[in-house]
Amino acid sequence: MAVRTIEVRERLMARNDEYAAQVRARLAAAGTVALNLVSSPGSGKTLLLERTLAALDAELPMAVVTGDVQTQNDADRLARHTTRLVQAVVTGGACHLDARQVLEALDAIDLPATRLLFIENVGNLVCPANWDLGEAARVVLFAVTEGEDKPLKYPKMFRTAHHAVLNKVDLLPHVPFDPDLAEANARLVNPGLRFFRTSAHTGLGLDAWFGFLRGLAGAGIPAASG
Amino acid sequence: MHEMSLALEVCRLAEREVGREALGRVTTVAVVVGDGAGVERDNLAFCLETLLGIPPFRGARPVLVAAPGEELRLDYLELDDGGPDD
Repeated sequence: MAVRTIEVRERLMARNDEYAAQVRARLAAAGTVALNLVSSPGSGKTLLLERTLAALDAELPMAVVTGDVQTQNDADRLARHTTRLVQAVVTGGACHLDARQVLEALDAIDLPATRLLFIENVGNLVCPANWDLGEAARVVLFAVTEGEDKPLKYPKMFRTAHHAVLNKVDLLPHVPFDPDLAEANARLVNPGLRFFRTSAHTGLGLDAWFGFLRGLAGAGIPAASG
Repeated sequence: MHEMSLALEVCRLAEREVGREALGRVTTVAVVVGDGAGVERDNLAFCLETLLGIPPFRGARPVLVAAPGEELRLDYLELDDGGPDD
């Protein structure tokens, strides 16, 4: 048997990154800022977005792309708070959104009329870290019920994020969780992380989050620079 | 399980390189996996073994090469060209 070797040397993420570049170009042309929200399941991404849409829908043109393995439950929940489009992507088993799915989802969104686009990724702190979706910035959520060492256990997700939301802080009196230690752990991985402490349930800390979003939308501040 | 997504991309790139008709003659598929690539090597190997064991492949052997950093690429393919040994 004669064996021929074919050198390929091609990055496996190259095709996804090409789609991400197309997403980024379309968003830039429309003047839309996209945030990729990532977390483990149950950290409160959907409730945070519900509260955000309810509070800011009248003043900020927003749209949402949600990713879930199954069901459109999150999209249905969010759609109750906005007259704008909530586009659901059901991955059918895949543990992350990829840039091609987001690019296709953009076709249904009136981008020039959208200032902020939220991409609610599949709940998973591992796989979504590897997939650039063309977002301006990545926001990682975790909750006080999860443990202060989450950033150390999932460093790539926290290293590739620009902003962090520590959610469910209303439960701090009831759980053995040190929020300062959690932030310190996150900054060991990524010293530049900007932190928000929120309770999407009670509304605690949401004013700072809303102010951040208004800043992104109103001043054209690059999302990654905070 | 994003390792299966990556394994499918490896297969897509292999088909692009050699054409679908020649995939059955691929004997080795070498992938470089960086320590910081966020990929579980055993899992990726399992996914590749599964995909390379069914048509149009015919049991090509996955070779995973460890590397520092976040590198993640299809490095090379080996193909039985059907001729006699050199």
